[in-house]
Amino acid sequence: MIGNDIVDLDLASKESNWKRKGFLKKIFTINEQKLIASTEFPDVMVWNLWSRKEAAYKIYNRETGIRGFFPSQLECVYQNAILGSVLIKGRCYFTQSTIKNNTIYTIAVANKEHFRRIKSINPSIEILKKNGIPFIIDSNSMLEKPISITHHGKYWKGIQLID
Amino acid sequence: MNKEQTIAELKNIVKPYIANQEAFDTLTEDTDFINDLKINSANLVDVILDIEEKYDIIIDNEAMERMINVKAALEIIETKLSEKM
Ligand SMILES: CC(C)(COP(=O)(O)OP(=O)(O)OC[C@H]1O[C@@H](n2cnc3c(N)ncnc32)[C@H](O)[C@@H]1OP(=O)(O)O)[C@@H](O)C(=O)NCCC(=O)NCCS
Repeated sequence: MIGNDIVDLDLASKESNWKRKGFLKKIFTINEQKLIASTEFPDVMVWNLWSRKEAAYKIYNRETGIRGFFPSQLECVYQNAILGSVLIKGRCYFTQSTIKNNTIYTIAVANKEHFRRIKSINPSIEILKKNGIPFIIDSNSMLEKPISITHHGKYWKGIQLID
Repeated sequence: MNKEQTIAELKNIVKPYIANQEAFDTLTEDTDFINDLKINSANLVDVILDIEEKYDIIIDNEAMERMINVKAALEIIETKLSEKM
């Protein structure tokens, strides 16, 4: 399974004030709050961790059918600015984040081997949804293929897993 | 607690964060914050903090988990207010 999430940093700074009292505590674990407090660029850390949680949530949501708002239960294991994993209720997802042109983009996978099999999807392709979870119909096999999509501001990303 | 009044108060709280005016105008108990009102999930934290401030209650993780639609928000506000009595 796969998940992705993009954050437009300029837009995020307009939409959200993470310095607001209580904000970080609601989203981040103690360890994550320490990471944010100890970095030179807290904005980037906040949205980097957040995009990992959201990308991982999308896998968890698809695997379990559970929908809910539990950001601090999605616990980031931060290896470095690019790599990490997210733990939730005994499950572990792997994340790869890219910081580029004022965006942070994270791809999450349930199996590390799958990073190599990620392919972008063309935004013009028809996207269907079941319970809000997106998929496409593969034009060769006519089978349903799970995808993950994300958008923020002027950015849009869609991915699928190829065989 | 008067439900109509709380819904009106809740509408005021979510208003700055919504991205779907039509769903906002026709808001009911079944309205979903994310799917219908298109509130982005980071702003859901703001909605929760605004509710805490407005009613002087604390929304713990367990309550927050369910906070994805109007109905859950109303129930949580009601429960937390009654615990204060
Ligand atoms: C999935 C969710 C977190 C994404 O919200 P977001 O970051 O504000 O928005 P994004 O643009 O990144 O993602 C939205 C897209 O994800 C897609 N999506 C939803 N669930 C998905 C899943 N399980 N797997 C892959 N994609 C999914 C949707 O199709 C949606 O696209 P659309 O707007 O074109 O319909 C949100 O829709 C949701 O349901 N949240 C529930 C509570 C929550 O916020 N949890 C956060 C972690 S605790």
